[in-house]
Amino acid sequence: MPQTMFDDPDGTLAMLRNSVAGFAAQSPGAKILRERRAARKDLDQSIWNGMAEAGWLGLSLPEAMGGSGLGLREQAVLSEALGRELITEPLAQLAVFAGTLVAAFPDNAEVQRLGQGIADGSLIVSPLWQGRDAGRASAVMKRSGNSLLLSGDYHFVSAPRSATEFLVVAESDEGTALASVGAKSEGVSVSLRPSVDGNQIGSITLSGVEISGERVIASGPDVDGALARAIEVTRLALAAELAGIASRALEITVGYTRNRVQFGKPIASFQAVQHRLVDMWGDAEFACAAVVNAAETAVSGKGKDATLATLAAKARAGDAAVSVARRSVHLHGAMGFTDECDIGLYLKRAINLNATLGQPEKLRLQFVALERAA
Amino acid sequence: MSTQQDWNALSDEEFRRIFRDWVEENCPKELRFMRKQRPLFDEVAVWYHNLARKGWLAPVWPQAYGGMGLNPSKHIIYVEEWARMGCPRIPDHGIGLVGPLLLQYGSEEQKQHFLPRIISGEHVWCQGYSEPNSGSDLASLKTSAVREGDEFVVNGQKIWTTLAHCANWVLLLVRTKRVEGKRQEGISVLLADLRTPGVTIRPIPNLREEADFCEVFFDNVRVPVANLVGEVDKGWTLAKSVLGHERIFLGAPARPEYALTRLEALAEATGAFEDKAFLSRYAKHRLDVYDLGSAFERFAKVLRAGGDLEADVSVLKIFNTELYQRITEEMLEIAGEDARFEDDLDAGEIQVDAMNLFLDSRAPAIFGGSNEIQRNILAKAVLNLPG
Ligand SMILES: Cc1cc2nc3c(=O)[nH]c(=O)nc-3n(C[C@H](O)[C@H](O)[C@H](O)COP(=O)(O)OP(=O)(O)OC[C@H]3O[C@@H](n4cnc5c(N)ncnc54)[C@H](O)[C@@H]3O)c2cc1C
Repeated sequence: MPQTMFDDPDGTLAMLRNSVAGFAAQSPGAKILRERRAARKDLDQSIWNGMAEAGWLGLSLPEAMGGSGLGLREQAVLSEALGRELITEPLAQLAVFAGTLVAAFPDNAEVQRLGQGIADGSLIVSPLWQGRDAGRASAVMKRSGNSLLLSGDYHFVSAPRSATEFLVVAESDEGTALASVGAKSEGVSVSLRPSVDGNQIGSITLSGVEISGERVIASGPDVDGALARAIEVTRLALAAELAGIASRALEITVGYTRNRVQFGKPIASFQAVQHRLVDMWGDAEFACAAVVNAAETAVSGKGKDATLATLAAKARAGDAAVSVARRSVHLHGAMGFTDECDIGLYLKRAINLNATLGQPEKLRLQFVALERAA
Repeated sequence: MSTQQDWNALSDEEFRRIFRDWVEENCPKELRFMRKQRPLFDEVAVWYHNLARKGWLAPVWPQAYGGMGLNPSKHIIYVEEWARMGCPRIPDHGIGLVGPLLLQYGSEEQKQHFLPRIISGEHVWCQGYSEPNSGSDLASLKTSAVREGDEFVVNGQKIWTTLAHCANWVLLLVRTKRVEGKRQEGISVLLADLRTPGVTIRPIPNLREEADFCEVFFDNVRVPVANLVGEVDKGWTLAKSVLGHERIFLGAPARPEYALTRLEALAEATGAFEDKAFLSRYAKHRLDVYDLGSAFERFAKVLRAGGDLEADVSVLKIFNTELYQRITEEMLEIAGEDARFEDDLDAGEIQVDAMNLFLDSRAPAIFGGSNEIQRNILAKAVLNLPG
């Protein structure tokens, strides 16, 4: 069955896979998702703490920040395994995105505090940077005496209620600024909207929120660069998670169709069903191969090549996950149309992640534009 | 033949460079990027003999038999560079099919007799498996071989035999025994000289109006028993198991990659890149080609690590052949009203053989086990589905 294939000389990757499988055996992803959905929560705090204890939140943060200092291969394997197990707490946004962003400025004291908090789970740091059109929000940071005032509308915010800190990107006189804001600060207003996969996504307005100078992490082109890198690394993690979803949805459906009997035979013995399953399998295989390519290209450090590879992987895995899950629902018959059957949760999860940081069409056009610009 | 060296000991880059430099010198310019997929032997004889003289005709045969003895990862480079430099396909059934079969299952006498004659170009081989009523269901084949003394007498018909009209030998699958309910039993592999009395070869014009495959009739054709490969009646597994790591090449991205460059040339010339709808479709093809490269690498990595390919590798063949079709269909789409022409389309300085490629791309999804048959196999071998 499809899985990303990396060299694993010291067994780290196998260990990560096992640790996720063990975690899911204790706290099955679908069950946690349903409970969180029923409670209309944006994060399951005890699961999040468990993920911190497992070392997943600081996986790629430097050791000096309390992380494990591991690389993109490990991140890909972890995310893939989470996708498979339908563990849906927003690790990609709160750990990978926020972690990559802060890790770009290692010498900063505020960064040390945030990094440690991300890794040990004591802080929930949610990035604020997207506007309504999913591009950069138009938000500003203005000086006012010794402190700074932040104003702007942000969208697509993960864990908007549970966050303890927001990591804010805004325009300042010194260019793009990166700063942290206590989530309970005055002038922060939050509204929630449910995502299809049982989570809550926030829109947040900052109305002249005052912060001290120590909370400003950096400003200027370095922040633009760090943001671009955070987007790229998170896309890779999302691609891996999507590849995991595609692979697992396929496996579940193979299992179901082998057991479901109609016309006196398992429905998986009908050729129309078999060919569909084979095509789904092929899509999942290609998604895994694309993720491996992206991780390997990024690890070998080739800038533009890595960007291209990541765009390709997110597009491929997003398409694969959504379309495999869609076909999976169909092959479950009416059972697939019930809320009780987990397969629908895979579809919904795939739709959410596929829509996050660029749908396939947009990513492909970006790939072609970048390649043809040369 | 020049003395050979241990190519596998070279670094990949070094080997690639040596191979490229030599091909640059020795593959005639006028043969590069040929329009024809399957040139006849005489059309590419210079290239064939250049390769033979250099000892580079048979990349995976052991050096003792005149091959290069390449391991799979070097072989991948050989095939990649061959395609990248637009070298023409040579009649390669001898090198790719008969050679490996004899190396694996042939007697020492058969090896000594046939292998050098493949290298020298004296024997040009074709593959006689398919019959009018046995295509996908190959095991139903009926062409019979009945033993009389130290000869087999062959009667029946083969069809779709690529290049039979320029070959002088055929690798035959024949029925030597009927076993009720076990069609795979009783099939044998014979090596037959096409110049034997009783053989009739008729070329069949294909969709491109070229004659590159044929029907071959056998009317009491006498084949020496010495030309039986392996055991009598046990030829099925032997014929099916010849291709090892070479199966990866059915999925090599070269064809769709090449077609994509043609599509790009056409799109530049027609201004299609200004059209958002086209750009979106193009981006999909481009990424399909790119991701096929990643998937190919996934299997190449297995070979490089010394592993064996499994049935799952045919995912590449399916994706590759269907992608090749989609790209050529796109060419006709953007050719607009010109799509009706049989000859090549103007694309600024150059010409693009859109129709030629469109027609050519119909075939790979059919031969080598049609894509439906590949899916049947994957359903059983990889997904373990019942029925
Ligand atoms: C260009 C070209 C070159 C060739 N060269 C050679 C050669 O050199 N030597 C040689 O021996 N043969 C050669 N072949 C023949 C090739 O191997 C056969 O065409 C192939 O095996 C399919 O057989 P068929 O053409 O009889 O099609 P059929 O088996 O009749 O199939 C027709 C259609 O039905 C589908 N189909 C068949 N069975 C099933 C099934 N069980 N489930 C679902 N769908 C099915 C097929 O996928 C196909 O689309 C060549 C073919 C081509 C096109």
